[in-house]
Order: sequence, then structure tokens, then C-alpha cells
Amino acid sequence: MSKEAAPSRKKTDVLQGTLDLMVLQTLAALGAMHGYGIARRIEQVSGSVLELNEGTVYTALLRLQQQRSIASEWGVSENNRRAKFYSITRSGRKQLARETEDWQRISDAIGRLLQLAAGR
Amino acid sequence: MNPIARMLSKVRYLFAPRDSERDFDDEINAHLAMLAGRFRAQGMTQEEAWRAARRQFGNSTSLKEARNEMQTFVWLATLWQDLRYGVRVLRKNKGFAAVAVLTLALGIGANTAIFSVVNAAILRPLPYPDPARLAVLWGNVKRLRVERRGASYPDYRDWRDQSRSFEAMAAFDGAELALTGVPEPERIPCEYVSQPYFSLLGIHAALGRTFSPEEDRVPQRDAVVFLSDGAWKRRFGGDAAIVGRTIQLDWRTYTVIGVAPPGFYGLTDKAEAWIPFSMEGAADLDNRGAVWFTVLARLKTGVSRAQAQAEMDAISNNLARAHPKTNEARGVEVSPLDRELSGDLEAPLLILLAAVAFVLLIASTNVANLMLARSEGRRHEMAMRAALGAGGGRLVRQLVAESAVLVASGCAAGLVLAHYGIRALMAAGPLRFSNSVHPTIDGGVGLFTVLVCCAVTLALGLAPAAQVRTAGFDEALKQSAVRSTGRRRGSRFRDALVVAEISLSLLLLIGAGLMIRTLRHLAALNPGYDPSHVVNLRVSLPQLQPSGASNGNAAPGAKPDAKMVVAANDILRAISRLPSVESASVATDAPLSDSSAVYYTAEGQPPMNAQVKPRAYFHRVSVDFFHTLHTRLLAGRLFTEDEVHRDADVAIVTQNMVKRFWPGEDPIGKRIKIGGLNSTGPWLTIAGVVGELKYRGLPENPTADPDIFQVFNERSRDFSVLVRTSLDPAAMLSTVRGAITGAEPSILIYDAGTLEDSIGRETARSRFTGWLMAIFAGIALILAMIGIYGVMSYSVSRRTREIGLRMALGAGRGEVLRMVARRGVSLVTVGMLLGTAAALALTRMMATLIYGVSSTDPLTFAGAVGLLAAVAAIACLLPAFRATRIDPVVALRDE
Repeated sequence: MSKEAAPSRKKTDVLQGTLDLMVLQTLAALGAMHGYGIARRIEQVSGSVLELNEGTVYTALLRLQQQRSIASEWGVSENNRRAKFYSITRSGRKQLARETEDWQRISDAIGRLLQLAAGR
Repeated sequence: MNPIARMLSKVRYLFAPRDSERDFDDEINAHLAMLAGRFRAQGMTQEEAWRAARRQFGNSTSLKEARNEMQTFVWLATLWQDLRYGVRVLRKNKGFAAVAVLTLALGIGANTAIFSVVNAAILRPLPYPDPARLAVLWGNVKRLRVERRGASYPDYRDWRDQSRSFEAMAAFDGAELALTGVPEPERIPCEYVSQPYFSLLGIHAALGRTFSPEEDRVPQRDAVVFLSDGAWKRRFGGDAAIVGRTIQLDWRTYTVIGVAPPGFYGLTDKAEAWIPFSMEGAADLDNRGAVWFTVLARLKTGVSRAQAQAEMDAISNNLARAHPKTNEARGVEVSPLDRELSGDLEAPLLILLAAVAFVLLIASTNVANLMLARSEGRRHEMAMRAALGAGGGRLVRQLVAESAVLVASGCAAGLVLAHYGIRALMAAGPLRFSNSVHPTIDGGVGLFTVLVCCAVTLALGLAPAAQVRTAGFDEALKQSAVRSTGRRRGSRFRDALVVAEISLSLLLLIGAGLMIRTLRHLAALNPGYDPSHVVNLRVSLPQLQPSGASNGNAAPGAKPDAKMVVAANDILRAISRLPSVESASVATDAPLSDSSAVYYTAEGQPPMNAQVKPRAYFHRVSVDFFHTLHTRLLAGRLFTEDEVHRDADVAIVTQNMVKRFWPGEDPIGKRIKIGGLNSTGPWLTIAGVVGELKYRGLPENPTADPDIFQVFNERSRDFSVLVRTSLDPAAMLSTVRGAITGAEPSILIYDAGTLEDSIGRETARSRFTGWLMAIFAGIALILAMIGIYGVMSYSVSRRTREIGLRMALGAGRGEVLRMVARRGVSLVTVGMLLGTAAALALTRMMATLIYGVSSTDPLTFAGAVGLLAAVAAIACLLPAFRATRIDPVVALRDE
């Protein structure tokens, strides 16, 4: 996997790990969902993070599925469409716990750092 | 996630890529549809809603690509593309592709063919249960060196009863018996075997049963026979009621008790019938001095061969103490069965396998060189592709794919070559393989070929790839700036390939040279007789009552059987009347057939111990025998007709006996006696001396024991007929047969052939190896020449501008020639030094196959070096001469 297009830094781009974490958290909180539902939920919670690039949710889903953090199953959506439902696995929950902790630590650190900078 | 799981999910994806891709499309479409539905609900038109949905979703193509990257081995995903590109590139370079594929096909085909023979003859386990535990026990005697002789029946019984290392033991011995009492009597190969023989080999009767223990107990009592599937079908029409029927072997009636499964021919690999061992030569079963057979045994589980050997050593020491007269200096050798059955093929086959491996290495080197040359020519293309965004890995994959296309084609062509090569080897090769050996391209051989091809592919693709990686692309893009300089690294690698090629070729040439010298020695070998134009066959006379001793070499001094001599004389007279027959004679045994040893005593010799006790090979021959064989008399005279009639006590001996007992004396008139000093036989007066005869083996007799000839006066029903003709002896065979059956209709003729055939069989191993080695070395030489030529002319073409410049600046043709040739000469010298060193180390392996030359024969080494040097000189000088003809103006303008 040598080459990947260099990501252009746009506002709507979400850090890879962040999006994974959001997807995992969504699935952990709300149970099995399809990609569209996950995208709506993230939109609802985070505002415009996903705007103009909803497809990246699937990148995260593929990545997580390959890591066996989530599992998928075909089902029927609320409006009777064939849809793939994703659910978090046991190792996904562990990953979520681990990454939440990491995230907390980093965001605390960054928060303090920014406060210091602001206070100066 | 662990890497294995990731790999598995990728592999799974590979096998179901279509469905899974469609699923993914569906999923994205469903998402888009829901998004669009949402925008519709917000009041957009259908068209607007979809556009907005697509915008919000983002680039679905790059998403799919990202997914592909994630889910498959990228190189596999692009493999097809690379392969197609490879085919296209090669199709554009038909000449290059043809040379490369042909070279590889030769190398791969030769390897596959030889390996399939090695696989069938050596690697495949014997077709018996747990063959690793099977062993052959040899009775050995320690004379000047340890010689294999065989076991005596009392010894065998003691080994069997006293040893604890073996599950079971069975004596076995090959013999030929006449199948009589049928319309077309013939001699069939049989085995005398002890009762456990079949269970040791895991053979169950296909019909009836094998021998019972009771049937092997009392000598000469149980006339039962177990038939081979072949004999049963061929001679008895596959009669389902054969069990219980009687058949006649050597005019004695046997009851058939069973039939063997198809494909089983016993350990002699040709047996058509099996008879209880106790039916063999009654008189000898109690004689500890008569050794003639070998013993099959199965080691107990957990007992090593070394342990068994130690136990047998102890037993034979005890036997030597208990029976010093017969067992002094006698031992037992425990030899693994597989080595007994195919051991003598190991050396030639492994040497040939090494030789073909070298050929393949040379072939690959050549192709690698070609590819390198092309890859240097393609630096511009590569640089351009890299600049357009191809990753380095992708370019390497591209090169590997190209070489894979080459190797796959070479492999396919090689397999076809191998298929016919194996047939040719088996049909035309002088080596005789056992019945169970059927070399084919089976799974194992296929796997071998595939592995070889993978290795070659990687090596071929990675060599130029290594260069692609190291080369600076921007530099390469700068057109011609790098053309005349800046290619040291690549050229050094190519130089190394040429050196390797030269040294491997020299190694092969030296090996082939040693074999060719061996073959010349073998062809020029004087066996003490002239084998050309001699028909050689055995006859067997019917006898009305069964006779115990059917041994070909009856003790001398036995009562002459008038009928036999008359029959022999009748036969000789009938043959002599044939046109083109120069001379005909009979003998108890012909050269290179079985003959057996006797101890003898020279008058006046001091008593001697078993190690040096005089031993000789005893033959009875008719008057014309030495005349028929063109054997030169060194002293004394030949037999006379009168001596035959009188059965005179005279002997003709070979020179080795004279050398031992009467060096420098006149041996004529000296007396010898068969057996010990106290034996009852008559003293034989030496009437003549002949030179040493290669009677028992070629190129040398196995031992230096002399031969003793006495007049033909045979009571055996079985003897050899030798006929010298002025015509092709093979063409004379049927005429001679006709004359014999005309003289004595009830006679059986067997083992008919020519004396040259017998000699050919003895030297088959060396000839087989020699010719194949010569072929391989020839291929290697041609490949090496192509390789050197290719590198040299490529280097000249690369240096055209430099050479043109030098010439423009005043360099003479001689200087240019020297400059170009110098590089070639230094490469060839280094290669030759390495090759010679390797040959000095490796030719020692050939010691058992060569004859008359040492494995470091200086003449062979010098010849090989000279030949390779000449070929290399041609390959170097042609491009060098071309360089001298470079027109400086054209060369400089060219750029």
C-alpha cells in the first residue's frame, strides 16, 4: 500500500482516528446501525464535521471492519431498503475504551496547553 | 488485529471480489438514495436532491479505490495488468523473448526430466510397508579387502535364531528354471525364498495363499510354487482355477498354491515364480562353506541399524570361533534395502542433477543478463513512468511480472521438453531401472518445477529491479548524459553474472571431460578377449529325472555325462556349418555372466589363512573357446580334442595365478588342485597361460583372483554357447537359434544376445552419465558463449561514443581492440579460476563413475580451460572487432 493521495487540508476533513472513534462510540451507544444512520447521528452530534464528505464514514467502517472492531450484517432499513447494519464487537468495545482514554488524556493535555497559551 | 487475520480477510476477498464489490456499490447507492430522499423531503426536485446527495457523500470512486487498496494485495490486484503489459512488451521484442524462453525451457526441461528420474528411482520410498526398517544381510569375507559373498544356509539359521534385532528374516536367491511340460517351454526367472519373505514385504496373495511355515521346513519335500501375476496371465491364461493345478519347473512337478498381486517381481525385480527356499540344492543346505544367497530382514521397531549391525558382528564372531574352518574372517553386513535396490543409481543421478542445475543457473544467468541489458535500455521508460506517478514498488512488480511471463512460457515449454526427455531417457538410456520405477511428471515433480520456476522468476525480475531502485530517475531522464559514464554499478553486477557463467560452464566442461575420457578408456579397454561379432546365448537340455544339482559349475572331476557332451558337440557342429560362422565353442559360463569362486591349492604352497587363501573362478570350456574369443595365449598350449575325450587333468590358467605362485618361473607343468590340499580332487597340470580376462566385471574384475579353465566335460544341463561370426552378431541370433534347435529340438535357448551387449550393460552407468554430461556441457558452452557475446557487444554498443571519441583523438585500432577485449579477458580469467577451484573440490564426487583418469586429471582440466578460452575469445573478439570499425564521425554525430 505504498501510495495514497496526499490529503488536502480542508475544514471538513476529520482526523482518521477521530472518525473511527466517533463511529465506534455511536455503535456502542445506539446498537446496530447502517452507514446512513451513523452519518446522521454524527451530523446530529457534531454539526458540520461530515459536511460534503459523508463517504468517509465508509472508509472508517471498512477500516474498523478489517480490524474486527465491528461486524456487519445485511438487513432491512426502517423504510424497507436493503441495508448493511454494523454493530460493535467485543474487541471493538475494548478498542473504544482504550481510545477514549487516550483521547481524554490528549485532549486534557491540549486543553491545558491552550489555556496556558490563552492565559499568557 | 494480527497480520495473519488481515491476510486471511484479504485472501477471502480475492476469491469473492465480484460479489463483495457489488455489495459495496449497493450499500453506497442505498446511502445516496436515503440522502436524496431526505433532500426531497426538504423540497428539492429529484434531480437536485440526487446532485446534493452526491455532493454531500463525496467522491465515491476514490472511496472504492481506498477500499480496494485496503482489501486486496495490491500487487495481485494489478497483477493481471502487469502480466498483460509484460506480454505486450515481450511481444514487441520477439527475438529477445524467443531466446529467453528457449534458454529457460532447456534449463527447466532438463531439470524436470532428471529430477523426475531421481524422484522415481531414489526419493520415492520402496513400495513396501515401512521400507526404512527393511535390510539386506550380506555374508562378507575379509580378504585383502572386505568382499560381499553371501550366506550359507547353516549361517542363515544361526543368524535367524540367535539375533534379537529383527522381527523376521528370510533367505532369498534368484534362479532361472525351465517352465516345462507346456507347448512352448522357456526359462523363467524365479526366486527361492524362505517362508517369511512375503510377509516381510507386505505381499498378500491375490489368489490362493503364500507359503506356510511347514512348507519351508524339510529340504526337497514341498514342491509348491507361488506364481507372479505376469506368469499366471501370460502362461496360464489367467486361469481362475490355477490354485491346486500342477506345473513343471525344470522337469519337476510343482503344485501352484497362489498368485502374487500385479506389479510384484520380488527383490530380484524379475521373478515370475517363487519356490520355498528348502527346495534349492539339497546338498548345500547343510554345508556351512557354501555361501551363495542373501537374506532379507526387518528391524524391530526402535532398533537402529547400528544396533543390529553390532549384534550381527557379535554373532558372526561366535560363529567364526565355533566353525573356524568355514567362518574364519567372515562377517555380516546389515545394509538398508533401498540402498541395495537403487544405491548404484545414486551417484550418476545426483551428479546429473547437479549438472542440470548448473545448466539452469547458466541459462538463468544468460536471461538475467539479457533482461539487465534491456532494463538499462529502458531506464528512460522507467524514469518516465516513475515521474508519472508509478511507485517504485509498482515498477519492481512490473519487472517481476515480465520475468514471470518469460519463465511461465519457459516452464510450459520445459515441461513439454521434459515429457519427451523422460521417454527418451528411459528408452535410449543404457541404465536399467527397476520395474517399480516409472518417472513421470507427477505432483512431486510438478511442485519441484514450480518452485524452480518461482526462484528463477524472482531472481530474473529482482536483478534488474535492484537497478531500477538504485538508479536516479531524474538522472535517467536527462537523456544521454549518463550514456557513456555513470553505469558502473549495473555493469559490475553484469560482470559478476558473466564470471558466474564462465565458472559454472568450466565446471560442467571438466565434469564432461572426465566422463568422456572415461568413455574413451572404456571403449579402448582390452578385456582380454574380443567381444565384437560374438553371439552369446545359454542353452538348457531337458533331463528326464530331476537332478538336485543344477548349479552351473559342477565340481571338477565329476563323472562325465556322455549325453551332454554329445549334445554339445552336435550343437557346435550344427553351428559351425552355418555360413559366416568363424568359430563356435561352449563353456559352463560366458564372460560377464555368473561364475562362482572355488578355493584351490598350488602344489608346494605353504598353508594360508582365510584372508589370502588362494581363490579362483572355475570354468569348463571347449577346445575352441580361446580361439572364439580371440584370447592370446601367453605360454604353453591350448586344449586338444584328445584331452576333451579323455577328460584330461589339465588346466589353462590366467596370468595372475602365475604372478602369485611362480613369478619368473615357467608355470607349464606346475600342478594345482581345486579345494584344499586334502581334497579328493585330482591334481591338474597347467598346460597353458592366458592373459587376465575381464570375466566377472568391467572395467575391472571385482577381485584380482585368477581364472582356471578345464576342458568342457559338463554334467550340467546348462551351458553357454559362444559363436564368432563375420556378420552382425545381432542379425545372426535367429540363425544360430535355428541351428541349435535343428540339432536338438528339445533344447531351451535363453539369455540370447551378443557379448558386446553384456559389456554394454557393465559400462551402462558410466556411459549414461557420460553422454548426458557431454550434452549438458555442450549446452552450457553454447549458453556461455551467448552470454559473453551478449555482454561484450552490449558494452561495445554502450561505449560507441567513447570509442568514437578516442579514435577521433588518435587511438589506433589495436588500442581499441585491446581496450575492449581487456574487460572480457579479465572476466573470463576470474571465472576460470573460480571454476577450476570448484572443479577441484567437486569432481571427487565422480570417483565411482570415472575410469582410467584421476578426478583432477590435468589434461582434462587443461582441455576444458582451452576449449572455454577459445569459445570465450571468439565471443569477446567479435564485438571488439566491431568496435574497431566504428566510424568516429558517425559515432559522435549519433548522439
